[in-house]
Amino acid sequence: MSKKTKRYNGGRDPDEKFETSMIGKIALFLGPFMLGIVIFTIYPFINAFLMSFKENFSILRNTFSGWGLANYRKVLNDPIFLSGLKTTIKYVVIVVPISLIISIVIAVLLNNTRRFKAILQTAYFMPLVTSTAAISLVFRFIFANEGGLINKIITTLGQTQINFLGTNRWSEFVLYIFGIWNILPFTIILLLAGLQNIDPQYYTAAKVDGAKTLDIFTNITVPLLSPTIALVAIVNSISAFKVFDYVFQLYNKPGPGYNLYTIIYYIYEKFGGTKPQYGHAAAASIVLFFIIAVFTLLQRVLQKKTNY
Amino acid sequence: MEVRIEDLVKRFDDVVAVNKVNATFESGKLIALLGPSGCGKSTMLNMLSGIMPVTEGKIYFDDRDVTMLSPDKREVGLVFQNYALYPHMSVLENICFPLKIKRVPKAERIEKAKEYARMVHIDDYLDRLPKELSGGQQQRVAIARALVKRPKLLLLDEPLSNLDAKLRVEMREEIRRIQRESGVTTVFVTHDQEEATSISDYIMLMKLGVKQQFAKTRNLYNDPANLFVADFIGNPTINQLHGIYEKGNFRPDAYENAIPIGRYQIEDGSRVVFASRPESVIVEKKNGKTVMEVEETYVSGKDTLCVLKAGDGRLRAYVDNDSAPQEKDLVSVSFRDRGVFVFNEESGERYYE
Ligand SMILES: Nc1ncnc2c1ncn2[C@@H]1O[C@H](COP(=O)(O)OP(=O)(O)OP(=O)(O)O)[C@@H](O)[C@H]1O
Ligand SMILES: [Mg+2]
Repeated sequence: MSKKTKRYNGGRDPDEKFETSMIGKIALFLGPFMLGIVIFTIYPFINAFLMSFKENFSILRNTFSGWGLANYRKVLNDPIFLSGLKTTIKYVVIVVPISLIISIVIAVLLNNTRRFKAILQTAYFMPLVTSTAAISLVFRFIFANEGGLINKIITTLGQTQINFLGTNRWSEFVLYIFGIWNILPFTIILLLAGLQNIDPQYYTAAKVDGAKTLDIFTNITVPLLSPTIALVAIVNSISAFKVFDYVFQLYNKPGPGYNLYTIIYYIYEKFGGTKPQYGHAAAASIVLFFIIAVFTLLQRVLQKKTNY
Repeated sequence: MEVRIEDLVKRFDDVVAVNKVNATFESGKLIALLGPSGCGKSTMLNMLSGIMPVTEGKIYFDDRDVTMLSPDKREVGLVFQNYALYPHMSVLENICFPLKIKRVPKAERIEKAKEYARMVHIDDYLDRLPKELSGGQQQRVAIARALVKRPKLLLLDEPLSNLDAKLRVEMREEIRRIQRESGVTTVFVTHDQEEATSISDYIMLMKLGVKQQFAKTRNLYNDPANLFVADFIGNPTINQLHGIYEKGNFRPDAYENAIPIGRYQIEDGSRVVFASRPESVIVEKKNGKTVMEVEETYVSGKDTLCVLKAGDGRLRAYVDNDSAPQEKDLVSVSFRDRGVFVFNEESGERYYE
């Protein structure tokens, strides 16, 4: 112990109080980070929380008429917010499961391939390191109306071209594909890590027990991977609830016909624009916060349940 | 089911893990695959189960050539060294799994699984997860899982090595009982010669991938094929004196007196190893014959193990407690005919009379 103390004290008197010098160092290293968190996360959160209860709040004059639930009443009765909530939930419900299923299949295949591992690793890592803004440009090119890749193929096949980016129905479809595509690498990497944690002996045992590839996948791989699957599903759901940037990058607005208006879009618009309503924005943020909090709790429960 | 292996070879790059092994495992018998670590026991077992392809040679189950057959078609049960129970399944589900794969109806497979759970005395724990079981209980689940599909061949890879000494002896007997009850041909891997001798009908002893001897268990002790076998089997290990064979006598390097050992097919002057089981060494009050000093004595049960100073070497002898000498006593030593073997010093090959 005394040896250790000496080393940590940088050669000073070993009898000097260990803790005081350590606390100083901890503060020194952790300080800037903590300061950032306090300024940019904790303070705004508390502020938003309080703001959501301030009625008729004006940020410029810092005045409000009183405390109450008026903002929540307004937001929860606002058809625009409710339709935003609906759009967001639909996005989560479609993108998260589909991307998860695709990722599981890809991860299992990758885990079983020894050949091309290096190439494949780069391939599935690419979207992660490429900025989504760049990917959105590619998507816009692929789905563009005039000269877009898919429309070229469609017209060559003698079909009439589809206005992917300009119609409500198809723009939604493109957004889902974009969302799934962007979420895949992260999901696959986590699942691969989970797969690597499965003792290959279980596969061998199952083979000796007579199991074929598909039996092994459904009876061994998926159940043993379920802690990771649960984790990824929840993390992806949380981030999908906050979807905004994908919409913005693809369309520069909430979809061609305001059809992809998500909760974050609502919050964003309430904060900005010509007639900002900070109280409403704050209340909407807190509602979203609670939705996400529920999912986080759900993750904890699931994780405990699937802990072998 | 009878198992026959012909010129079985397994190579990993430059390592020959199993080298040209031939053997026939009689139906319904318990065969111990014995040998020091790294001698190819697991490799052999894995080839029998089909999870590892063979490099050369053939494996026959009865008259069927199964060499190229995948594990799911071989009808073997395998108990892994660390059991490999499926951690997300309860005991019952684990035992049911092979039947589930065979699409046996649910009610039927549960009934079957319970039957085998009873057989291995694990039926009180059906709803537990593997992590909630002790090592011995896990092992029994693994055996039940291996047996429930009524395999033609049961393979066990050092199943007892994770258990404490007492449980090991208990489970050893348990495996013996289960094997008898089910009558399945069983191959049991171990590196513990005592475990092998206490459990098996036959032992195949291996060294560096080469079969040393495959024989009835007691023959391995009484009639070893070479020095390695003689040395490996038996506790305490067999006494070994190095020396020269000359006209029916053995002249040890370690001390003066020659030992009359009878006529062997050995050229006079050849270097040999004279090996004797401790119970084949006769210790008497000092008389005309070879005299040695008693260095240490250990009482074990009704016998006393005496360690005798044989020149530079040591000789162990079992003596009846009543006639046991004291430490530092001088005693005369001679040898019985039984349990005494002569081997070529270089090759370890056995010489016969
Ligand atoms: N996958 C492998 N690749 C290369 N060499 C291997 C492989 N598996 C086994 N070997 C080698 O083959 C030889 C036999 O191994 P094996 O596992 O059959 O030994 P064992 O008798 O079961 O030993 P232990 O008692 O330690 O389990 C060893 O020299 C080992 O290093
Ligand atoms: Mg082994």
